[in-house]
Amino acid sequence: MASIVLSSIAKSFGPTVVLKSIELSIRPGEFLTLVGPSGCGKSTLLRILAGLEQQSAGDVLIGGEVVNKVRAADRNLAMVFQSYALYPHMSVLQNMMTPLTLRDLTFAERLPLLGPAMARGKYRALHAQAVETAKVLQIEALLDRKPGQLSGGQRQRAALGRAMVRKPVAFLMDEPLSNLDAALRVHMRSELAQLHRRLETTFVYVTHDQAEALTMSDRMAVMMSGEILQLDSPDRIYDDPQDLRVATFVGSPKINCLPAEVDGEGRITSLGLALERRVGERPRAPTLAIRPEQLRLSKGPAEVGQGLGATITHKENLGAEVYLHAALADGAVPVILRADPEEAFGLSIGSRVELLPRPDRALLFDDAGRRLSYLADAEVKAA
Amino acid sequence: MRERFTAWCFAAPAVLLMAVILILPIVIAAGLSLTNYSLGNDGFDWTGLKNYDRIVSRSSFQKMFTATFTYVGVVVPLSVGLGLGAALMINSLKRFGDFYKTIYFLPVMAALLAMAIVWEFTLHPTIGLINETLSLACGSWLESFAFFERGCVRNFPLWLGDKHYAIWTVAFIGIWQGFGFTMVLYLAGLTSIPRELYHAAAMDGAKTGWDRFRLVTWPMLGPTTVFVVTIASIRSFQVFDTVEAFYPQGGGPSKSVYVMMFAIFEKGIQQNLIGVGSAVTVIFLTFVLFLTLVQRWLVERRVHYA
Repeated sequence: MASIVLSSIAKSFGPTVVLKSIELSIRPGEFLTLVGPSGCGKSTLLRILAGLEQQSAGDVLIGGEVVNKVRAADRNLAMVFQSYALYPHMSVLQNMMTPLTLRDLTFAERLPLLGPAMARGKYRALHAQAVETAKVLQIEALLDRKPGQLSGGQRQRAALGRAMVRKPVAFLMDEPLSNLDAALRVHMRSELAQLHRRLETTFVYVTHDQAEALTMSDRMAVMMSGEILQLDSPDRIYDDPQDLRVATFVGSPKINCLPAEVDGEGRITSLGLALERRVGERPRAPTLAIRPEQLRLSKGPAEVGQGLGATITHKENLGAEVYLHAALADGAVPVILRADPEEAFGLSIGSRVELLPRPDRALLFDDAGRRLSYLADAEVKAA
Repeated sequence: MRERFTAWCFAAPAVLLMAVILILPIVIAAGLSLTNYSLGNDGFDWTGLKNYDRIVSRSSFQKMFTATFTYVGVVVPLSVGLGLGAALMINSLKRFGDFYKTIYFLPVMAALLAMAIVWEFTLHPTIGLINETLSLACGSWLESFAFFERGCVRNFPLWLGDKHYAIWTVAFIGIWQGFGFTMVLYLAGLTSIPRELYHAAAMDGAKTGWDRFRLVTWPMLGPTTVFVVTIASIRSFQVFDTVEAFYPQGGGPSKSVYVMMFAIFEKGIQQNLIGVGSAVTVIFLTFVLFLTLVQRWLVERRVHYA
């Protein structure tokens, strides 16, 4: 197993800068996801790692060795493409044997007809390896079929098989699930995660779907406009984003952004609601970000007048939970909150409600999108 | 019942046109090939398969088959191969691709009859550009080759006038004229190959250009190749204008360039032997039909990936 290090990688196509000095160190055996909106450079980064694209500056290191000048074919990485990129004229078995024949057979042994006759033993060994991989993926029954005769999910498995058969240093996956239907995508998510645990090999996974990133990865790197904004475990990315763009990109429905104010003593208020937290500086035009599940409806007369007044504008019933869309401050600020079906039962569009945030889970960002940390209680007392 | 009538009414114009313009002439040609009809005669006699018998047994018709198949056998593989090579090279260019495309496509667009006259000058035995250039080598080390030795002592080949060279010269002009067309078809085929397949090949360990060609390019061009070979074959079977321009008196030196289309023209039009001309036409149609069927079979059986 080898570590992979990307060191100050930059890439530009003509005047367009796609990647700005990326630093990324991938631990051996981890499942690392590069996630970001389309055009953020995540696929380009993966292709630079694969050797399919040449970086404008910086180094790629695999197992401690600089591989800038090493061709994709010699990097011993395997890639699964969004379109699967199976060879349409070959059966699944031939597709899976291709990486092996290209690695293990000489030019003469690869000749059609003549080759198999010359190196029968070698061919048999490669065949056995391909079949063994097919067993792991449960596609033995499909080995004789051509890609055109397979469903999307089966093609996906065949492409995985072609990547796995060679036992590469790392698997690179470029949005491999985005061509599948929704149900299959959810299923393949858990299957890929299981496969990763089983193979104990490094996975580098590119996706624009934050749900895929959150569910599968050991660590995820949120990328935007050619930079890695935050690299952390999915929990930390979700709960403790260091940038407003990370906070808004990760999580569905989106995090609610409310205008806030900070007074001279660091006290935070938002739309007239005072938060029981303080910060150590006084930013201009800060934003208070609250996840939908960290907002709740006020209960009972004891809490009347303590929350933010809002009007329900839309109800999304998902069965197990209900997302309430509401408008704050006379309709200027839309928010979404998660409610239990029982709570939401009595509410209809136009109902007046009061919303209470969990103060310890509301996140404050300055006007540049930088996260501001709250002062600990001791610091507040000292101030 | 009514519906069937309406359906026939809608189909009638197309069916009628197809019958009158396409099917009827073929049927008439097939019928005439069994007669001794000549244009202007009041009547004709049924002669059965006598016309076909003549074609199979007479030496001039045997020469026709030799010339036609030599031409097709040389022009098709070479124009397909050169077209593929040019397409691959142009496709790999970052700049000037359009420039080369235009140059190679020019002969396709030019009127072959006019070009034939230019070639006639170029290939002229004494004042032609080709032989003048070749004679420059006289006196140099090149003369140790038998070809140059013979050329310098006596004369360089007559190209169009020598029965050993004529068909190859005409075939060369056919390739010169035709490979631009196959190149354009291959260029279109190349653009439809998904780039991701090349990336997949690179990841799978395809290191050389040959590996990539074997693994991706050639198989993915399969449908294009079937089409190109069929088109090139049909076009080669149809070769006429060069032959007519070089040898209006009939088939070149000792009928070595007596290709099928020219035979149809000579028998049916020049000599007004409609029966014999029709018989050659029917044989010609059979070849073309056979090629088309082979193409259909290949497209459906072998190279259809979708």
